[in-house]
Amino acid sequence: MTRLAAPLVACMVVAGCASGESILQAGNDPPPATTTTTPAPPVTAAPGETLPPTTPPTVATTTTTPLASLPPCPVDALDDATSPVEIVLWFGLAGETETALIALTDEYNASQDRVVVRIENQGGYKELIDKYVQSSQGSRPDVVMLPEYVVQQMADSDTVIPVGACIEASGYDTSAILDRALRAYQTSGVQWSMPFNVSNPVLYYNRAMFEAAGLDPDEPPVSLEELRAASQALVDSGAASYGIALDTGVDSGGGWYLEQWLARAGQLYADNGNGRQAPATRVLYDGPAGVALMADAQALIADGLAVNVGDNPAGRDALLKLADPAAPAAMTIATSAALSTVLVALTGGLIPGFTPDQVGVGAMPGPGETASATVGGASLYIVADQGDAQAAAAWDYIQFLLTAQSQSTWAAGTGYVPITEGALDLEPIKSLYETDPRFKVAYDQLVAGTDDLASLGPILGPQREVRTVTASAVAAIFGGADVASSLSGAAAQSTALIADYNARN
Amino acid sequence: MPVDATTAYDSPTGWRAAGRYALLVVASVVVLFPIYTTVVAALKPGNKVLVNPLVPSDFTLEVMRRAWTEGDLGAYMRNSAIVTVIVTVVAVVTSVLSAYAFAILEFPGRNVLFLVFLATMLVPLEATVVVNRRTVDALGWLNTYQGLAAPFLATAFGTFLIRQVFLQLPRDLRDAAAIDGVGHLGFLYHVAVPLVRPTIGALAALTFLSSWFQYLWPNLITTEAARYTLPAGLKFLSQARLDEPNLVMAGVLIGFLPIIVVLLIFQRQLVRGLTSGGVKG
Repeated sequence: MTRLAAPLVACMVVAGCASGESILQAGNDPPPATTTTTPAPPVTAAPGETLPPTTPPTVATTTTTPLASLPPCPVDALDDATSPVEIVLWFGLAGETETALIALTDEYNASQDRVVVRIENQGGYKELIDKYVQSSQGSRPDVVMLPEYVVQQMADSDTVIPVGACIEASGYDTSAILDRALRAYQTSGVQWSMPFNVSNPVLYYNRAMFEAAGLDPDEPPVSLEELRAASQALVDSGAASYGIALDTGVDSGGGWYLEQWLARAGQLYADNGNGRQAPATRVLYDGPAGVALMADAQALIADGLAVNVGDNPAGRDALLKLADPAAPAAMTIATSAALSTVLVALTGGLIPGFTPDQVGVGAMPGPGETASATVGGASLYIVADQGDAQAAAAWDYIQFLLTAQSQSTWAAGTGYVPITEGALDLEPIKSLYETDPRFKVAYDQLVAGTDDLASLGPILGPQREVRTVTASAVAAIFGGADVASSLSGAAAQSTALIADYNARN
Repeated sequence: MPVDATTAYDSPTGWRAAGRYALLVVASVVVLFPIYTTVVAALKPGNKVLVNPLVPSDFTLEVMRRAWTEGDLGAYMRNSAIVTVIVTVVAVVTSVLSAYAFAILEFPGRNVLFLVFLATMLVPLEATVVVNRRTVDALGWLNTYQGLAAPFLATAFGTFLIRQVFLQLPRDLRDAAAIDGVGHLGFLYHVAVPLVRPTIGALAALTFLSSWFQYLWPNLITTEAARYTLPAGLKFLSQARLDEPNLVMAGVLIGFLPIIVVLLIFQRQLVRGLTSGGVKG
């Protein structure tokens, strides 16, 4: 039994982040009102109409942040330290991912005598963000692992040393690191953090049902047309009640479908290059591409080919719909990081009659014939003003976590995607990918994406709030509401949130 | 008690009683249902939880054992116990002292001050939590027991509760004691406190209950595993695995045990203490 048990965590961890606080407020300023009361006038085109090309307004948003104006990274300070430097990492993982991080950190601590890393679990990303925001300079950690949706807030918080500064100062060779993973955490040319635990949504399906419906279980649907055809076959044959279980959770379907599909279609989700050339000022997902994609999804549900499981707390409901004895779905979309947990759970007999071998994993279906996905998961930030030796120690530790060997060990122990070149040639991930290719799907669809700004996905100041608004619109659409007006309403609200955020920063 | 209900069916008031009991039964079911599902889930193996979730089967204590060892609940419960005991003891002492001042002592502005005191009951914990967090941070009390306990060491509710019963003590008692040369502290210790013991017991039990499962505050001021309290431990347990959805149920059940013990000990005081203040003697 492969007890590589990884995290349900990823899905739960993600689900744990209900917060929308601006990390920005990490200083001692009183928290400002976080919600806007007056929604901005809809800037979007009328339903169905094409959006005007977005010209970035001439507000202070087009300035690029020169690295020189940011805190420097004193990479040599470790050499001057006379005794081992102790640093603290805050993280928000649980279960097997936590175990894997502890093991990796122990290995680092044992491998050298200049740095001692102490890692402290803050009980989930939401809690972690809350505590980071509330902490004064003296009580912050030295390194902090934060989810992908806080990049802009961390950049605006003035509490981090950009990892890019350390890369420059130490002459670190980034060519071994997956370019897309690095770029995911860049805005305006600044590398804010170092990607570490990378995951993305994949298709989980029941191979036995595919066979019963006369489908090839080794060829899961890749495009939306194939998804529809496969669902039709599954429903018509009676192999399953529904083709696919969709959901509207903020940290799952409600956020993923639009973000992932637009990225894959090469369409921007937000202006200013998805907020990567300059802070975004508005979202664009209510354009024709977004409307067409969501209309496809809505039609799946309306035609009885898909079922909406709703909020999908902790990412469980969509997965459990595959095992619903009354009205099962044959497929669902869930985080790749849940795979080993799913397999372990089935091995333990959680669902009678559903064996681990019956679980198929494919790329997340989407527009076009080529599967690809944006970078999800979390990255590591070096906290500023904790002392030169601490910053240098943090950088040393991060470099260790990014070695090919560390990434191989980490990916195999958790289900995350290895992002360092050469990791795939090293044990234990080498054997795992060979013996169970299901684990490699997330990796393949990550490297398949291109490096253009649309494909990298958006970076927004109030990203989590925008996701919440968008997920509500997705829920309405799945419930039968008009696609174009639901999306333009959500887009107007999102744009208002962004305007409010930009006004405060 | 059900006997009363059945034998009273003949009279019209019996019907009323039956209706009342029916309501109580419904209310009890609503209240007890989540507890029932927790207990059932905690006492069966992980792979049986999704099969007939409401029916007990394959009784085992193994899940409880694993929740205790794997979840390291002992350490978290120790922290919870330390904080809860500190909070309970100190809050009772401060409540008794301030209640005595407001009820027995005479000083200018007493009523205004008491009103201000009471007004703080209207301010929810969430409203003050940020300021308190900064204060505790500035004191260097993050990740300490004193930091965990500090905001709860004096409460308007406790003061109010005890003041109400102190007000019912006959004035003559204090006068007689004064004539005998007994000071305020002596009177408080030898006369007043023994007379209102049920209310004090009730306050102690309530403080214990509210402190034991606190989540928000401990979560904000602890960043080190060595000071995490029980709810944080349960959160870790709930995230741990998909294949054992009942591990956290078992953990919750373990966390409940001290509360049940306290309730059993203080049950009488709790009921008597809370009602005694309401009757004007």
